[in-house]
Amino acid sequence: MTVPEAKRQRRENMLDVQDENNISLQSNLHHEFNNNADRVLEDSDMIDDSEELEAPGENGEILPLDSDQIKTALNACKILVIGAGGLGCEILKNLALTGFKDIHVIDMDTIDLSNLNRQFLFRSTDVGKSKALVASEFVMNRVPGIKITPFFGKIQDKDEDYYSQFQIVICGLDSIEARRWINAMLVNMVDDESPESLKPMIDGGTEGFKGQARVILPTITSCYECSLDMFNKPNSFPICTIANTPRLPEHCIEWASVLEWPRVFPDQKYDTDNPEHISWLYEKASKRAQQFNITGVTYFLTQGVVKNIIPAIASTNAVIAAACCNEAFKIATSVAPFLNNYMMYTGNDGIYTYTFEHQKKPDCPVCGTIAIKIDVNPEMLLEDFLDVLKEKPDTQLKKPSLRTATKSLYMQAPPALEKASRPNLLLKMGDLVGDGDEITVTDVALPVSMQLKVTMLKAQ
Amino acid sequence: MLCDELELHAVGQALDELLVPGTIMTAVPDLKAQKYDRQLRLWAASGQAALENAQVCLLNATTTGTEILKNLILPGIGAFTIVDDEVVSEIDIQRNFFLDTSCIGSPKSKSTMQFLQELNVDVKANYEEKSAGYYIDENHAFFDQFTMVIATSLHEAHALKLASICQARNTPLFLIKCVGFAGMFRIQAGEHTIIETHPENATDLRLDVPFPEILEYVKSFNFANMDSSEHGHVPFIVILQHFLQAWKLSHDGKLPESYAERNEFKELLKKEMRSFDEENFEEAIANVWRLASPSKVPDKVKEIFKEPKCENITKESSNFWIIARAIKDFVYHEGAGLLPTPGKLPDMKADTKSYVQLQQIYRQKALQDLEAVKARVQSLLTEVGLLPDAIDAREIEEFCKHAQFVKVIRYRSLEDELIRKVHKSEISQWLEESDPTNNIVHYIIFRAADRLANNQIQSVGQKEEDAAVKALEEATRQVLSSMDIPQDKVTYMLDSHLRKYVVNFVRYNGSELPNIASLMGGLVAQEVIKVITRQYIPIDNTCIYDGMTATTSIYDL
Repeated sequence: MTVPEAKRQRRENMLDVQDENNISLQSNLHHEFNNNADRVLEDSDMIDDSEELEAPGENGEILPLDSDQIKTALNACKILVIGAGGLGCEILKNLALTGFKDIHVIDMDTIDLSNLNRQFLFRSTDVGKSKALVASEFVMNRVPGIKITPFFGKIQDKDEDYYSQFQIVICGLDSIEARRWINAMLVNMVDDESPESLKPMIDGGTEGFKGQARVILPTITSCYECSLDMFNKPNSFPICTIANTPRLPEHCIEWASVLEWPRVFPDQKYDTDNPEHISWLYEKASKRAQQFNITGVTYFLTQGVVKNIIPAIASTNAVIAAACCNEAFKIATSVAPFLNNYMMYTGNDGIYTYTFEHQKKPDCPVCGTIAIKIDVNPEMLLEDFLDVLKEKPDTQLKKPSLRTATKSLYMQAPPALEKASRPNLLLKMGDLVGDGDEITVTDVALPVSMQLKVTMLKAQ
Repeated sequence: MLCDELELHAVGQALDELLVPGTIMTAVPDLKAQKYDRQLRLWAASGQAALENAQVCLLNATTTGTEILKNLILPGIGAFTIVDDEVVSEIDIQRNFFLDTSCIGSPKSKSTMQFLQELNVDVKANYEEKSAGYYIDENHAFFDQFTMVIATSLHEAHALKLASICQARNTPLFLIKCVGFAGMFRIQAGEHTIIETHPENATDLRLDVPFPEILEYVKSFNFANMDSSEHGHVPFIVILQHFLQAWKLSHDGKLPESYAERNEFKELLKKEMRSFDEENFEEAIANVWRLASPSKVPDKVKEIFKEPKCENITKESSNFWIIARAIKDFVYHEGAGLLPTPGKLPDMKADTKSYVQLQQIYRQKALQDLEAVKARVQSLLTEVGLLPDAIDAREIEEFCKHAQFVKVIRYRSLEDELIRKVHKSEISQWLEESDPTNNIVHYIIFRAADRLANNQIQSVGQKEEDAAVKALEEATRQVLSSMDIPQDKVTYMLDSHLRKYVVNFVRYNGSELPNIASLMGGLVAQEVIKVITRQYIPIDNTCIYDGMTATTSIYDL
């Protein structure tokens, strides 16, 4: 049995025993304060997804908010915050005030001047320092009696052992890639033999006046990967438009950054934080725009396009971070049922929230139990097939490596294997795989592999 | 000069909002522009200037109150003043991030001001160690200095008085309550007019009524003689106009009017494609639906034109109404029944030359319309005895570009809500709806809790729970009865589902949950920013959040 097959088998087993699992998961999450919390226990049917939004308890009444059970539960909960940026600063503040005592935070970034309009734990004298370190210190100084442990680095630097020490993971990230990675990690950590291996993940995201907050119970509810097709890839323009028929100022800026910079400086990548580099791109883009009678290239726009800047404001971050922390509070204490499982927020035209249950995808490459079916044109070259996988909204891969049960189709690394498999790129799919074959795909975007089941189309 | 400005404006959303006469954002931005970069992309320099001129007053330095201020100080409001007469207690420290142990025993107004001021050196900070009640009861002139008043945890009687003080001064007022898992806020801002509503889909191509310059331009395309590359780069607007003219010849001069006809027209376009994936033709086909809604003045804008304020322009009329009137007159004259052309062209598959030419045609038309509106504004101004250039050209231009989407909100006064014109039947109806995102019940409970306070019963949570529940239940009964709900129905409502909200409210013990306070702080600050900048659309007039269900509801109370 291959590793992916084993994993799939395990998931299938898990689905079978899900009812059992539910019970053990509950008792696990609450065992620390169960003894005194009869009222909490009675209504902690937290993963019964039928009546999730009913208020808990007899008559929907809650515990008094200053009760000891709530304090004990918060004391016992070790929580991980991923990201110490716009959402992260808010999350750390909220968790500390809520009464969480043992908080860890990971962030690989350093503080930039443009963070200061919303990341309120940082001052201009902090520019250049680690976000995780400065934020931890600030909150610990302000709120007595709590411990925050920072890690200045990448989530990928940490392994399963590290993530297994937490009861809840809460994410305030700005990248799809990081979310996919931690989501896949947490899903894969679930071991049906040990219910405490299931770590609820709360994920928040914002863009301008909009945002979302969601609760993921890995393997039980819809996971981040299940919803990947809801998030579009960042705007990109076809290369032929950029090269031949520019119409918008953005096209001219893309020309300068994608084509002109590498031509002039083949050995150097531009640095989006270096004003000289941005100025160079801006000037080139302006000249090109002039040449084509296109108006509207500015430094401001150049920066926006090159850095793929997403507007961000304090108020939306406050709303989404608080929504996430409120769910963490409810999960940790069972004081009220938590969100099942998705809240969308829109604030540009009035205030609008939409709360719904996002459905699990049976063929989700991360938490699903069946392989993704994919139609393959036998005439298509392997090279083009790789591009399809990169573009497909529900896969969105970066550098996929492909193999079947019997052979490697294309491997991105190590170099020797890459070289050996490179000639396959120009072969037709019909000559490489057959109808019903399973292709195992690995990619930097995911810590797990993905199974594709081939349906061979008739040759045209 | 205007010509250049318009040209620059018409390109790209991001740039569109950013240019103010005299500032051409070509140089490397200064430190301030860098600091505010992420928000300038939402409300531009004009919104930022409005924020920086705002003087905000906060009554009561609650957790919710300081969270609101945090979200206003970070983006850079001009100044804030905190009014609070309490001293900092141990409990305050646990709940309010803008206090620490060193503040215990100090005035809360001063301590929170100091911690908040740290967030942004550009913002001026003040505090007053007096109670909100003092200013509301005895010193109304205090409120003259503010452009916005925000009050948290104010009881009904004081809220009513403050609302009338603010109304008399035309000062927008926000009233906020936040206890346990429930939060509620209310805007009273008189008449609020918005030009830049930032709609998401603002394309206005006038496909059904092309102006002569476009038809002239379309004639220069000879589809039959094109090579495949040329054919694949004709802008879809040209494609549509070309084949629509042909269609009209064989259909008594009419456009494809019915659904069936539009499908027929799509099939016709499909046959003209040289390859199965010719993108510009695909775009043309995808835009045929636009013909289903003929170009016209939207009903909501027509309503604005009908308002007495639009009819009767005086010296006192605001810029909004003067421009609205000028545009109304434009519609009935030069516009031939239509609003000024916004002049904005979306990107489409095309070669550079034809795209830029087409863009020029739309821009020229927009400029022509703008000039006509400007002339009308000037003569209106002269008629009422004002200088012809009393209104900034940029404002007229913005109005013309966004004319389809401008908005007028008239906020009901708090006095109307609570006393004079209570929405009794609406409220009783909402109470009976079973939608899980219906949060009107919290409104009833908040008002019931206010009755207790007004009757000199101390904080609800300090009493024995049973007694407190009984008192709050009785107060809830009174509020429901005041909505003309019959007694037996009130009893039924309490027994069937309202009682748990009463019990929970008592168990909240009058305290703010940090998460809910922070969330309310985000919502309120967002709406304050919309009102100050007059960009985007604020709620009308009450928002209620329930943290148990993670839902918000909006009510016109």
